[in-house]
Amino acid sequence: MNELIDKLKTQLIEALNLEDMTITDIDTEAPLFGSGLGLDSIDALELIVLLEREYGIKLTNPAEGKEIFRSVATIADYVSKNRTK
Amino acid sequence: MIACIADNIISPMGLTTEENFSSVSNGMSMLRIHEDTFGLPEAFCASMLDRKLISDLFADHALSDNGYSLFEKLCILSATDAISSCALQAESEDVIFVISTTKGNVDMLGTDADYPGCRLAVSAEKIAGYFGNTNTPVVTSNACVSGVCAQIAAIRLLLGGKYRYAVVIGCDVLSRFIISGFQSFKALSPEPCRPFDIDRTGLNLGEAAGTMILENIGRTEFPGNGCLWEFAACSNHNDANHISGPSRTGEGAFRVLKDILGKTDRDDIAFVNLHGTATPYNDEMESIALHRAGLEDLPANGFKGYYGHTLGAAGIIETILSMKAIEAGIIPATKGYGAKGTSYSISASASSRVTDKNTFIKILSGFGGSNAGIAYRRRDVPLCATFRKGGEA
Amino acid sequence: MNTVSHVIITPEETLLDGKCIFRGSITGLYREFAGDYPKFFKMDSLCRLGFMAAELLLKNIPAPIRENAAIVLFNRNGSLITDRNYQKTISDDNYFPSPALFVYTLANIVTGEIAIRNKIYGESSFYILDEYNAAQIEDISASVFITSSPSLLLTGWVDYNDETDYLADMKLVTDKETDLR
Repeated sequence: MNELIDKLKTQLIEALNLEDMTITDIDTEAPLFGSGLGLDSIDALELIVLLEREYGIKLTNPAEGKEIFRSVATIADYVSKNRTK
Repeated sequence: MIACIADNIISPMGLTTEENFSSVSNGMSMLRIHEDTFGLPEAFCASMLDRKLISDLFADHALSDNGYSLFEKLCILSATDAISSCALQAESEDVIFVISTTKGNVDMLGTDADYPGCRLAVSAEKIAGYFGNTNTPVVTSNACVSGVCAQIAAIRLLLGGKYRYAVVIGCDVLSRFIISGFQSFKALSPEPCRPFDIDRTGLNLGEAAGTMILENIGRTEFPGNGCLWEFAACSNHNDANHISGPSRTGEGAFRVLKDILGKTDRDDIAFVNLHGTATPYNDEMESIALHRAGLEDLPANGFKGYYGHTLGAAGIIETILSMKAIEAGIIPATKGYGAKGTSYSISASASSRVTDKNTFIKILSGFGGSNAGIAYRRRDVPLCATFRKGGEA
Repeated sequence: MNTVSHVIITPEETLLDGKCIFRGSITGLYREFAGDYPKFFKMDSLCRLGFMAAELLLKNIPAPIRENAAIVLFNRNGSLITDRNYQKTISDDNYFPSPALFVYTLANIVTGEIAIRNKIYGESSFYILDEYNAAQIEDISASVFITSSPSLLLTGWVDYNDETDYLADMKLVTDKETDLR
C-alpha cells in the first residue's frame, strides 16, 4: 500500500503540475480539494483521466470522484480495490 | 446609427435565415446521436451538417474548389447569401470582414503538413480574399462568446469611421478534437439538451455558419420589409473567477446585463436570449445574473435545444434568430425546457409567446471567464422604390 | 491613448519601460517577480508569458483601478502549440484526452488568467492577426473606448511559438492623461 501511495503522489505531482512539490510535501490523509492542495474542478477531471490511463479504472460519473478524490489515502484505497491494470 | 442590413444562417436546419427560422418555429431540431463518428470511442449527441451537401453546394457555386476547407466553404457560402441579398460590393475598401470562430480549421491539424489555415488569420484572409476584399480581416477568438465579440469589434470599427460596412461571419465545425475535449470535461448530454430544466445534464454541440452585414448608416431610405435592426448597446465583462467554471455569483453576466439595461428602454425589451447551454452550472449562473439584474420576470429563451452549442457561430445565429422572432411578433419556445431547474426563476417557456416589443438582449458566457452581450432595436424605416447596387441611396 | 507602462518579454531579455530588468526564461521571470501563485505552473506557455507581462505592468496599480480595466490582446499563433499538445492525447493508440490541456486550446484563456489574478472585471478580448501589425493593434485598441469606458486598457501582442521564439509586447494605456496612483 505504501508503495502505491508514493506512486500516486508522484503521478499527482506530474499530472497536475504541482511544481516545487515532492511526495513528502503531500500529506496522505489531508484533503486534496478546497483547502489542502487547493485543487480545482479541472484537476478533478484530470484525476479521472489518470485513473483510467494508469489503472484502467473508468469513472463515468464525476460526482463519484468527490469521495474517491478526498485524499491520497482514499484514492489509494479505491485504486487497490478496482484497478484492472 | 449602426444597423444590421442583411443576414444568413446555414445549419442542418436550413441554408437561409428564413429556412432556419421556419424550422425553429416548427419546433424542429437536428440533434441526433452519432456513433462511430470521427473515430471516437464514445457516442455523442450533436447537430451535424451534411458534408457532401456543403461540398456540392460550394462546387456548384464557386469558381474553383482548390484548397478551401469545410470551415472556409461554410463561411463563404453564408457570406455570399448575405452579401447578395443586400447587393453589397464586398471588394470595396470601405468593407471590413470580421470572423468569429473558436477553433476554425483545427480538424486539419496534424495532417501531413499542417494546413496553413490552422492559423486563423490565414484562413480569414482566404475568406475575405474570395470576395476580392483586401483589407486585413479581423478574427475574434474568445471561446464561446466570440460571436458577440465579433459584432462588438465590427460596430466599434464602423463607429471609428474607417469602414462603412462590416461582414461579420461566425462559424465552427465539429471534429474529433472538439468533441473529445468536451467529453473529457464531462460537459456533454448523451441526449438532446434541456436548457434551464430541472433534469438538464449537459450540452450538445452543433455546426453552423452565420453572417450579419452591419452598416454605419448615413442614408435615409431602405430596401426590404420596412424595418431594420439598429444596434442599441453592448458590453463585455470577465468573471475574474475561473478559466472553465461559470461564476457562482454570475458576476460577469450580471455586469453585462446591467450595462445594457443602462442603455436600453427596459419597457421595450421583448426577451433576453440567454446562452442556455443546459450544463448544470451555466444555466444556474445565468439565473443568478438575471436575478441580480432584476430581470427574473422578463421573458427569456434559449436556442441550444434546436441547434446545440454552435460555438463561434452561436452569437451570430442566435442574434439573427432573435431578430426574426421579433419581426414575427413572437418569443420563441425554449426547446427541451420543461420545469424550473435553477435557484432563481428564468422566465422560459416550452411554447412560444407573443410580443409587441422591439428590443432584445443576447448574452453569452464562455471559457476564460468571458461574458458578452448585445442589444438591438427594431426600427420602422421608409422604403425606397428601387435599391441601387452597392447600398447607396 | 496615453501609455502608462510598457513591457517587452523575449527569450533574451525583459524590458520594462525600456530598461532591461531580467534575462532568462519565463519561469525564471516568475520566480524573480511573482513566486506566490502555484497556478502559474498549470498554465500553458502562452498564458505564462501573458501572465508575467501583466504582473510587471499591473504591480503598482491599485485594486479599485484594476477592477475596471479592459484586457485586449493579439497574436498570430492562437493556441497552436497547445492544440498540438492536446492532439497528442487523442491519438488512436493512446486515447486519453486531457481536460487540463483542452482548456488551454483557446487563446483567450490568457486574458482570463490575467483577470483572475488581478481581479479585473472589465472587458476581455482576444484577436488573431496574420502578423504583428502595430497600426491594426492601435486601431482596435483605441476603438475599445468608443463603446466602453475602462479605467485602463491592458493591450498588446502575446505570441508563443517555442522556447526560443516568443514575444510579449504589452502596454498599459488610458484614454487620456490620468493619475493612476
